[in-house]
Amino acid sequence: MDQLIFLIILVGVGYTAGTIAEKRHYKSIEKRENKFLKLSVVTLKDAFDKESPILRTRLVQGSAVISIDYFKRILAGLRNIVGGEVKSYETLVDRARREATLRMKEMAWDADIILNLRIETSAIGNSANRKKTIGSIEAIAYGTAITYKK
Amino acid sequence: MKYSPRKIKTNVNISHTSPAKDFFLLLSGIFCVIIIVYFILGLLVNVAVARLPVQVEEGLGRVFKQFYENAKNDEESRKLQGLLDKLVTGFPEEGRAFRVYLVENEMVNAVALPGGNIVVFTGLMKEVEAEEEISFVLAHELGHFANRDHLKGLGRGLILWVLSAGFLGYDNSVTALAGQSLMGVQMKFSQAQETKADLFALELMSEQFGTVAGAVAFMGKISAKEGKGMLAYYFSSHPHPEKRVKVIQDEIRLKGYNTKGSKK
Repeated sequence: MDQLIFLIILVGVGYTAGTIAEKRHYKSIEKRENKFLKLSVVTLKDAFDKESPILRTRLVQGSAVISIDYFKRILAGLRNIVGGEVKSYETLVDRARREATLRMKEMAWDADIILNLRIETSAIGNSANRKKTIGSIEAIAYGTAITYKK
Repeated sequence: MKYSPRKIKTNVNISHTSPAKDFFLLLSGIFCVIIIVYFILGLLVNVAVARLPVQVEEGLGRVFKQFYENAKNDEESRKLQGLLDKLVTGFPEEGRAFRVYLVENEMVNAVALPGGNIVVFTGLMKEVEAEEEISFVLAHELGHFANRDHLKGLGRGLILWVLSAGFLGYDNSVTALAGQSLMGVQMKFSQAQETKADLFALELMSEQFGTVAGAVAFMGKISAKEGKGMLAYYFSSHPHPEKRVKVIQDEIRLKGYNTKGSKK
């Protein structure tokens, strides 16, 4: 019984803390995305202006690790029984990818365009891919930043 | 190629539904399924238990040996066995052996275990002085055997444990609890089961002793239990005393059982 109460507390704490953290994170993501709106990121390899002389090209990367909360894990566990979309993980992956892309943009702050964007995701931490433990997700975004001569 | 930056208005990569709603919907859905499965399997248990050979039940009974290993072997326990032997001659199934064990314990209780073993705790013996009253308790436990209530309880407990282990995992606290109650001495029966065992006991007593005075005396103690609270233990595992008293009184009136007089 006491373990059940402990579980309910964990789920409650996970839900409250997780929701607050997620809202704040999305706010920050949107704010910074607007800030870097002018810096274009494409998956093409040769979408740059070939007429303009290039000052420099370099590899830029950004990575972010986001942890799952207890509520999301339980929700995903319940979902595992019946199948279907694991909605509770969606925000996690979305946040990690956008955060990683943003950090990459922050690294390429003076660039005019980032080419050949690649995003990769992996489970991370001691508990990665293990049952009954809380895992984290890592997203890494990398590309080639090109800065033109002004 | 001209690049024109534009703000993304909606996020298509995440679901815009409430996770809390999702959680409660899933939880209640799975809970409902478990209850339905438990109910259906429970009905199957009732069917299976009615066909279970006595030998199998006796095999099952050995699992519960720990409860009566330290049973007393004195005059009082032999007297109990004598009472039980007398009652058993009127038991509907023939050729079944029943043993009663008197175990040193403060609990005011008696328990029917699989394999025809009845455990009476010394706490109950202190509360119930008259032979007729303890006969009623023994007859009541025999009623549980006749209806195979203890096996039904065991079967349902086993189902609960399997379901819990399947859904929540073997090392879960809920599973542990289900496992404990499976082996628990105090198996709880429903009101209908208790009443059926009571009626069986009345008939058996009337047949064997020609009187149900013991039942009346025992029920008198039940009525007075609020004042004393001494027999409370017995009712924690044998619930619904008030309704049982009424049913017994009605049955005595209906069948015209002899409530006075001595033994045959």
